[in-house]
Amino acid sequence: MGRVPLLLAMLLCAPAFAVDPGPDPVPSVMWEFYRQQWLMDAPYQFDARVRVIAPPFAEDARQVPLQVDARALPGTVQRILVWAELNPLPKIVDFQPGPQVLPWLAVRIRIEQATALRAAVLTDDGIWHVGSTLIDAAGGGCTAPSVVRSEAGWEERLGQVLGARFPREDFSRLRLEVSHPMDNGLVGGVPEFYIEHAELRDAQGQVLATLELFPAVSENPNLSFDLRRAEALRLSLRDNNGNTFDAAID
Amino acid sequence: MRALLLVMLVVSLPSQADLEYRLAPRQVAPDTYVFEGSTENFSRANGGNIVNTGFIVTEAGVVVIDTGPSLRYGRAMRQAIGLVTDKPVVQVLLTHHHPDHALGSQAFADVPIAALSATRELLGEEGDALAENLYRLVGDWMRGTQVRLPDQALEPGVRVFGSHSLRLMAFSGHSGADLAILDERTGVLFAGDLLFYQRALTTPHSPGLAVWRKQLEQLQATPWQVLVAGHGPVARDAKPFVQMLDYLGWLDGLLRESAQAGLEMNEVIATPIPPRFAAISLTRYELIRSVSHLYPQYEQAVMARVDR
Ligand SMILES: [Zn+2]
Repeated sequence: MGRVPLLLAMLLCAPAFAVDPGPDPVPSVMWEFYRQQWLMDAPYQFDARVRVIAPPFAEDARQVPLQVDARALPGTVQRILVWAELNPLPKIVDFQPGPQVLPWLAVRIRIEQATALRAAVLTDDGIWHVGSTLIDAAGGGCTAPSVVRSEAGWEERLGQVLGARFPREDFSRLRLEVSHPMDNGLVGGVPEFYIEHAELRDAQGQVLATLELFPAVSENPNLSFDLRRAEALRLSLRDNNGNTFDAAID
Repeated sequence: MRALLLVMLVVSLPSQADLEYRLAPRQVAPDTYVFEGSTENFSRANGGNIVNTGFIVTEAGVVVIDTGPSLRYGRAMRQAIGLVTDKPVVQVLLTHHHPDHALGSQAFADVPIAALSATRELLGEEGDALAENLYRLVGDWMRGTQVRLPDQALEPGVRVFGSHSLRLMAFSGHSGADLAILDERTGVLFAGDLLFYQRALTTPHSPGLAVWRKQLEQLQATPWQVLVAGHGPVARDAKPFVQMLDYLGWLDGLLRESAQAGLEMNEVIATPIPPRFAAISLTRYELIRSVSHLYPQYEQAVMARVDR
């Protein structure tokens, strides 16, 4: 092997060798598979500074509260990718907080069985920091019949948004709940019908954060964000059928 | 072959013997007995014997209150009752539809089983799923257990068995349909799961904590002398009511204040439990469950429509 190709090979591989992933705190058979699929060959490390917080067990597997907190990481967070490893549809969200939004998120999710929950957080040095936890469950959250669809008049409420902001000492919390069945295509022949994209903008239309949602997010998605300033906000949502919904929070 | 069979029998005996509830009735008033369960969670060790059931020996026969978590438990009850009296069991009263109280009813298939009509409906709708969950939690103790629906609908009022006038009171705070039974002769109040003592209350079917509190106050005002909670020790003073109202008030306040402060569920779940509740078992576990059952109502109350 000549010197140049060797150098190239070293350069290409350098990031992967530069980081020792360390031991997986919640070993799971699907980790390697999803790492290759979503993080590909990017360097990563299991990192306790990324806190993935869920109850020890799912009381309601259709509505499991999940919090991801990457505020303890140094550097700038570019992306937060969250998944439930043993779900038939594992992906939960792909969150890109801008500088005005803290690397923190709360959402409620479906889980089909006891599983590892992962949040891979990409910082601006190109390294994925992976936080993990385990949750126990009797299961069935992904294949249980829709509660929303059993309620009269749900179609009229489609896209309604409840919201409120809550002051904190040095930031402002935004909480939202959107009326939507978030059908995942696994239940009773109902095809996939879910909100797939959300954007937060400031009053001037500047994008503050984007969030891709996947059908592991529970029906009537419940979302919380922390923003550095309590400024006026616009929220826009789009589902996979092309419906768009807008909201404004002053 | 016979020797081998014998060996197999001997070997299999201990595991069968392990699955015995060993129910011992405790007399709490004249003619009145309670089978007091533990304040633990369901487990394969306890077979779901975490519940209080009871019976009253009247001149007209035995009235049974709740049938326990499994067919095996119901049979054990009957056997234990038979050691106390020769009188036949003439009536079963179910306080509510939860599996730990109502799944032993198959053992009383020859006896009229009565419950509030809403209890019958709830047991019909949810009984199989609740039974399945209990199989998962306690395993083989449940073998052969199936939902048996009540065959009589109860109205609030007084029913007389021999010299015992039982005042039947219909509430909803714990499960959506909760029967409380006051024996006017002895003053024993079988409160069902409207009352928990030294064991954290459970909320999977509660219409709301405010409703429950109001009903507990009504129940406390009745002329009881002995309190049989659905879970926890029998008492002769108001301590179970005091503890329960205190706990309900704390839980209601916690959920309301958390929603007003914009906490997400995991933050509420992590709240410290006040030290005064240290003697109550399973508080953290039930807080996790109650947040899941009840917090959405509190959240929605502090949010407003923002869609345009
Ligand atoms: Zn109950």
